[in-house]
Amino acid sequence: MAAGVKHDYHLVDPSPYPLVGSIAATIMALGGVAWMKGIFGLPEGTSWLFFAGLAGVLYTMAAWWTEVVKEANRGDHTPVVSIGLRYGMVLFIASEVMFFVAWFWIFFEAALFHGNRTLGSIEEVQAAWATFPPKGIESVPAFELPLVNTLTLLLSGTTVTWAHHALQVGDRKSAKLGLILTVILGALFTAIQVYEYAHILDHKYFFGGEGQENSGLYGSSFFMATGFHGFHVLIGTIFLAVCLFRLMGKGFTAKQHFGFEAAAWYWHFVDVVWLFLFAFIYVIFGAAH
Amino acid sequence: MAQAAAYGQEDEHGNHTPGFFTRWFYSTNHKDIGTLYILFAIMAGLVGGALSGLIRWELFEPGIQVFREGSWLAATGLVEPSKHGYNVVVTGHALIMIFFMVMPAMIGGFGNWFVPLMIGAPDMAFPRMNNISFWLLVAAWVMLLVSMFVDGGPGRGFGGGWTLYPPLSTSGHTGPAMDCAILSVHLAGASSILGAINFITTIFNMRAPGMTLHRMPLFVWSILVTVFLLLLSLPVLAGAITMLLTDRNFNTHFFDAAGGGDPVMFQHLFWFFGHPEVYILILPAFGMISHIVSTFSKKPVFGYLAMAYAMVAIGFIGFVVWAHHMYTAGMGIELRAYFVAATMVIAVPTGVKVFSWIATMWGGSIDFKTPMLWAIGFIFLFTVGGVTGVVLANAGIDYSLHDTYYVVAHFHYVLSLGAVFGIFAGFYYWYEKMWGVKYNEFLGATHFWITFVGVNLIFFPQHFLGLQGMPRRYVDYPTAFEYWNRISTYGYMITAFGVVVFLLVLLESAVRRRKAEANPWGEGATTLEWTLSSPPPFHQFNELPVIKPDAHH
Amino acid sequence: MKSSFHGMRTRALGALAGASAAFWGASAWASDRIGEPTPGAIDLQPGVTDLRNQAIWFHDIILLPIITIITLFVLGLLVWVVIRYNKRANPVPAKWSHNTAIEVAWTLIPVLILVVISIFSFRLLFDYNDMPKPDVTIKATGYQWYWGYEYPDQKVGEFISNILPEAQANAKGVPYRLAATEPLVVPVNAVVRVQVTGADVIHAFAVPSFGIIADAVPGRLNETWFKANRIGTYYGNCRELCGVEHAFMPIEVKVVSQADFDAWVAKKGGSVGGATPAPVEAAPAAAAVATPAAATVAAATPEPKAGGTPAGTPAPSAPAAK
Ligand code: HEA
Ligand code: HEA
Ligand code: CUA
Ligand SMILES: [Cu+2]
Repeated sequence: MAAGVKHDYHLVDPSPYPLVGSIAATIMALGGVAWMKGIFGLPEGTSWLFFAGLAGVLYTMAAWWTEVVKEANRGDHTPVVSIGLRYGMVLFIASEVMFFVAWFWIFFEAALFHGNRTLGSIEEVQAAWATFPPKGIESVPAFELPLVNTLTLLLSGTTVTWAHHALQVGDRKSAKLGLILTVILGALFTAIQVYEYAHILDHKYFFGGEGQENSGLYGSSFFMATGFHGFHVLIGTIFLAVCLFRLMGKGFTAKQHFGFEAAAWYWHFVDVVWLFLFAFIYVIFGAAH
Repeated sequence: MAQAAAYGQEDEHGNHTPGFFTRWFYSTNHKDIGTLYILFAIMAGLVGGALSGLIRWELFEPGIQVFREGSWLAATGLVEPSKHGYNVVVTGHALIMIFFMVMPAMIGGFGNWFVPLMIGAPDMAFPRMNNISFWLLVAAWVMLLVSMFVDGGPGRGFGGGWTLYPPLSTSGHTGPAMDCAILSVHLAGASSILGAINFITTIFNMRAPGMTLHRMPLFVWSILVTVFLLLLSLPVLAGAITMLLTDRNFNTHFFDAAGGGDPVMFQHLFWFFGHPEVYILILPAFGMISHIVSTFSKKPVFGYLAMAYAMVAIGFIGFVVWAHHMYTAGMGIELRAYFVAATMVIAVPTGVKVFSWIATMWGGSIDFKTPMLWAIGFIFLFTVGGVTGVVLANAGIDYSLHDTYYVVAHFHYVLSLGAVFGIFAGFYYWYEKMWGVKYNEFLGATHFWITFVGVNLIFFPQHFLGLQGMPRRYVDYPTAFEYWNRISTYGYMITAFGVVVFLLVLLESAVRRRKAEANPWGEGATTLEWTLSSPPPFHQFNELPVIKPDAHH
Repeated sequence: MKSSFHGMRTRALGALAGASAAFWGASAWASDRIGEPTPGAIDLQPGVTDLRNQAIWFHDIILLPIITIITLFVLGLLVWVVIRYNKRANPVPAKWSHNTAIEVAWTLIPVLILVVISIFSFRLLFDYNDMPKPDVTIKATGYQWYWGYEYPDQKVGEFISNILPEAQANAKGVPYRLAATEPLVVPVNAVVRVQVTGADVIHAFAVPSFGIIADAVPGRLNETWFKANRIGTYYGNCRELCGVEHAFMPIEVKVVSQADFDAWVAKKGGSVGGATPAPVEAAPAAAAVATPAAATVAAATPEPKAGGTPAGTPAPSAPAAK
């Protein structure tokens, strides 16, 4: 800390990572376009540019957060800074919630307000949309694998809480065990989800009537909502794994372990989103056919 | 404000300014990042203003003069000389002005500079994240520029309007330009969400001792409400444009009627973001105007609490009125009726603000310095734009005006004459504080008057065009609309001259370098930033100021 | 003479200061052209339907005066403050910053004003919504970039309406960019229901002198209606950005007597007697477009169905101006 500073805030040193990360993000975005459409003479399907950008982004994240961990260990995260970090994480999760609102919005619009497609009273339209999922669409049975996944996530919610309590009382061994279990359960969820997707695609679940070439709006909203959730599970699992790694070393104390708490909050958020997905997409609007 | 004056001088020794590259590219200093944002906004404003020049030039007379083969524009090779090129320019103009000029200037620029200063904090809560907010904006800018130069489908660039409605933005534009535009908005959105998290944390967690929420300056309040709107509305847009992207590239069918999807669902998602967005563009101006009006009237802000909570109310109501942009899309009658009522309600808290500004001046001793001229201009012109918004809120009359130039006139009065006037007001108000030099009052006032005449001449006649039924986003129009279009283009010429004067202001002050004072405005200027030197030290408030109970706003 | 009235007047008023006065100066509404925009005019195009006239009344008698008064009131206060409380006129500033009574007033009065506005507003809105039993039903389909019209009850199959090329428009003395190759023809004083949909992207069917607009959204069937009370030609436009030729897909509506309408229908090969509206549910195209997933064809095909195009209709190409 510079001479004469009489406050507890953390004045961060200049850092190359924001600039590097943004350059990497630009490359990744351009690479994504090249992959999807081709750009600047790169033919469609060119993927190396995207992966180059992605590598840069991942490098930035790793380096940046390593820096944060170092600062934390150095004692820069005074109580007031730690409160700030908490605000930051809560707000980030709030924005993620709004992101999922978009996907649920589409789903509910299709599920509940399909009758509004026309101002006139056109019976065909109304008949076609009288049910959701629309006639002829076979949906995933809720009380098979999805239920297993629900239980998996709920269980992982308890193991992560166990780990947290253990850490708070200084029982590092139990904390490690709880966290290992959580990571395993997270990975299990992802594995089951992958299996389920493969199954759905194999059996052309949402393809409806004969000769249909795609799974339509139902398939879109199903895959994107559950897919983004799955992506978040993956991130959460990595986040927890990093915490486990730190716990295995000297990281975290009974008093100060905000990184762990942030991961746990994130995990609970992912859990709650799944409960909504399960309730609405699988159970309430799924089982009809 | 009962502060010990000039924190700057004593602790100069604690401030080692880093070298040039580190300082400006690796910055973790809120004032430097704010400066970067402001320079970026000026650059974007010039580009966006130039694009609007192409629009006005084309619309000077009926027929297609600029956007055709063989025109001078074709010779430059910058924009495709076709009808599609016109649509691309309109789209680019809007996206640039909104995402790269107004938002960076107000939130990234003034917000970064003055929120920490006004609450007595040494910096933002997450200084390094602050910097990536800025550089992600640059990344977004690069993507937008790339978008304008690569194939869009019907021609070079994306020409589907800033509202990005599918199917025109999906099956209507098959080229990579639209994908670039989508990713540009993603990056700009990520930048803003991170910025929002940063501001909220800063404001909640880093206020100086004694700075309760109800003693917080109104500009800080305005930024607080603004960033909450950002935090809650932008992710929804991110979801919507992600769906566009997957509809385009990954065989989903959200907005594709043939797959059972519905294009109107995109409109709901877009406007759920889009309407709060327009308040994001104006609320920081509200905050700045309060300070300026109070400073130059030498009188405290009238009805401080009502002013703060009016902004909160505007923010709340702003989330439940979005479908007034969709009266014609085919919504049930109950919905339309609801949105009419909800929309009109916003006029009430906004009116509280307008009248409170006037009440602040009432009984004051007004000094007509340049910032005050822009502020008074703002109050009047924003009112004009606001009341035409109330006209449009009535679905019954919107059937006659939707997608005509009446709408264009409405939103330019609140944006180009509202938000932009707010930006210039703030810019002159804090000029010395930010740059450490004085601007020339005469040039500043000249800039104001030329711009005032110019923009009114551009946009007032557009009400007439809209009433007569001239549709917007038209590269060419029936001859009957020629008269007012010409006037409008003359107005643009005057405005463009005003922009030149603005650049002269910058140049003149940079050459003359008259040394700035800590507080050039005297007793009326009571917020904390005026207790610091101009420019403030690299790190201010190494010892936190203490705010006394009587000293609010 | 009428257009020079506006010209003279507005030119004399010149810049902004006069512009709001010009609003009021335009009492010569009657001199506006009907069915198309008038050069230099500053008011709503005159209406030929009750709804549009009601909308004009709402705008001119309720909204415009209210917003003008509010704006002038704010301007007046500002001017007064500038004159009375500048630092020369009032060197010592007051210090007060609260006055509950006035704050309540400037909250409640706007509320009252808005209530007054909304009374008229809702009446208008619900009048728009309450369509009487329709006499004629038209299906308008927006294509990139022309309109297709169909009269299901009269069995007039879809025909195409392109922009009338400039040379022909000039030769016929009709306004270029408003006139169409094939107008929509409807009987006078009949309730005409327009069902609107889009074939490729969103368009919008809008005719100012009827005061109507409906978005032409693929996969949806929107509806609006009008009852024109005057024989004549009325122009409208596509009012939703639909791509390159958005500015070049005008709408031309010819309102004719019932006899002329019947003759026109006969010429088009339709059945005149079928004026009794068949249930619209039977319209196969409408249903197909709006049915999910399964029915991809109707929504995705920009070409009108071959059988429905009567002989003599120009091929559905984009306008020559392309
Ligand atoms: C800064 C941006 C901004 C702001 C502040 C506003 C403010 C308002 N807007 Fe505007 N609007 C836009 C930007 C903005 N708008 C944009 C960009 C579009 C077009 C988007 C597109 O399609 O591309 C648009 C379009 C738009 C529409 C859709 C029109 C159409 O497409 O057909 C509507 C309809 O309701 C509307 C209404 C309003 C209302 C009621 C307000 C109110 O908040 C205004 C409130 C203010 C006042 C009323 C004045 C002050 C009050 C008083 C002095 C008190 C007394 C007044 C009364 C009692 C009336 N706006
Ligand atoms: C903030 C938003 C903003 C601003 C400032 C402007 C400014 C201007 N706009 Fe634009 N405009 C939009 C937002 C804006 N516009 C939007 C959203 C649309 C709709 C697009 C669509 O349909 O999709 C639109 C559409 C639009 C059209 C309709 C096109 C059409 O429908 O076919 C026209 C036509 O005249 C037009 C003209 C102008 C002109 C002449 C200006 C002039 O005022 C420009 C003069 C230049 C300035 C006033 C900028 C000066 C500022 C700086 C130099 C930066 C200073 C910065 C600091 C001090 C930090 N604009
Ligand atoms: Cu069709 Cu615009
Ligand atoms: Cu709005």
